[in-house]
Amino acid sequence: MLEGLVSQESLSLNSMDMSVLERLKWVQQQQQQLQQVVSQSSNNSPELLHQILQFHGSNNDELLQGSFSQFQMIGSGFGPNYNMGYGPQHEAMDGCISRTSSCQMEPVDTMEVLLKNGTKEDRPISLKNKRKQEVKTREEENTEKKIKVEADTESSMKGKSNMRNREASSETSKETLKGVSEIPKLDYIHVRARRGQATDRHSLAERARREKISKKMKYLQDIVPGCNKVTGKAGMLDEIINYVQCLQRQVEFLSMKLAVLNPDLELAVEDVSVKQAYFTNVVGSSKHSIMVDVPLFPLDHQGSLDLSAINPNQTTSIEAPSASWESQSQSLYNTSSLGFQY
Amino acid sequence: MSSYNMVKQEFIKKWITTLHILDCSVEHPLNVTERKNAIKLSSDIAMAAARSSSTVWSRALISRSGNKTANKPMARRVLKKARNRMKNRCLTLRRNGNFTAKSGVRRRTELLKRLVPGGELIENKDYLIRETLDYIVYLRAQVDVMRTVAAVDSVTGNLTNDNN
Repeated sequence: MLEGLVSQESLSLNSMDMSVLERLKWVQQQQQQLQQVVSQSSNNSPELLHQILQFHGSNNDELLQGSFSQFQMIGSGFGPNYNMGYGPQHEAMDGCISRTSSCQMEPVDTMEVLLKNGTKEDRPISLKNKRKQEVKTREEENTEKKIKVEADTESSMKGKSNMRNREASSETSKETLKGVSEIPKLDYIHVRARRGQATDRHSLAERARREKISKKMKYLQDIVPGCNKVTGKAGMLDEIINYVQCLQRQVEFLSMKLAVLNPDLELAVEDVSVKQAYFTNVVGSSKHSIMVDVPLFPLDHQGSLDLSAINPNQTTSIEAPSASWESQSQSLYNTSSLGFQY
Repeated sequence: MSSYNMVKQEFIKKWITTLHILDCSVEHPLNVTERKNAIKLSSDIAMAAARSSSTVWSRALISRSGNKTANKPMARRVLKKARNRMKNRCLTLRRNGNFTAKSGVRRRTELLKRLVPGGELIENKDYLIRETLDYIVYLRAQVDVMRTVAAVDSVTGNLTNDNN
């Protein structure tokens, strides 16, 4: 009986897996294309960002990605079951695929559903239709790797049939990715019951809920540093609480520091442009987080600097690593060049 | 990482405008504590505004800041959504009693709810964690921006002191 159960569910799992992969491919496409779009439309970026953020406001899973590149992307139609593992997180996704469960879930997360673009995605997607071809080949490689990984983890019979089916249908499904505008809703996701686990409705729902929470915990490990060593909900919650308290304390401390440094509440805005020029020059010529040796640099008011030499001294305590320092100063520079109204 | 940079850009834009609004509406001179409160308030509002009010924590933060300052028009100017509704919900929750939780996970969840603005309003543990992660991202952006600005300030502070 168990074998019958497994084989029947494996068939449905095949269809689910294929479309999960297709969903992954599609999402990866969206991600890359959206990155290109966003990087190109730098002038319109605040508006676009706001719109995209509003699309995806209710689903914050993307923020959990370490690279933060997906958080603009994915609509709330993808629901809580939708956790994307790109790149280094492929194994998380593999685990998700083998354990995905369903009952009648409200925000529907199946596969053909997710292949088709949500109405919310229409706008970024319409911008990207041209670029899908080149992106698809990249994703095919990614999914090939994933297919192989899954073949190892799952049972051999099921794995082989999965691979065959996936490769067959991945070709056809790519054509369906173009220019679809609706999400048809499917209510059921088929489950593969693991050996020795109950398959009645309540335990499935319970298992789905538990797995959702555990997936969240995995994303937490990406965001909150130092979460890897701790297991169990209580420990992870401890880490999160610790981190949030730490950040809040830092905000307090930094605002006090800024209050001390600025006798008026101006945040030295007029000097901001000066500082930006300063930092871009500095950034261009040094690698480490430096505080420049002050007397060497005559700073005229337009912000052009006479940089004769730069000593990598650290005269103030900046704990930020050099990469983030440069990126932060770059961002400040970009921001000031956008021009504020004040 | 470019989207994180955009978060920071949004934040700093809003922060500067908010700070300026606050600056115009309060009389000088302020002592250090008042300045610090103003900076923190403006940065909190800016952080929540940068999140564009689609999360619980951002709305709760706006309403909480609106309560703290006498300057409600300023808060309203920055973000005009569902603020009073959030405020009323917060008040009723506070009145409903203390949070005593025995087991480890439950106790920590209560604690987290108190830390994250608007956390007490969220019943679903799943959603609470999602909100927390979003909040952490923006909090992190706030800290990074403030740290950079503070460092820049200290440098130019040194420069101007030397020139004087």
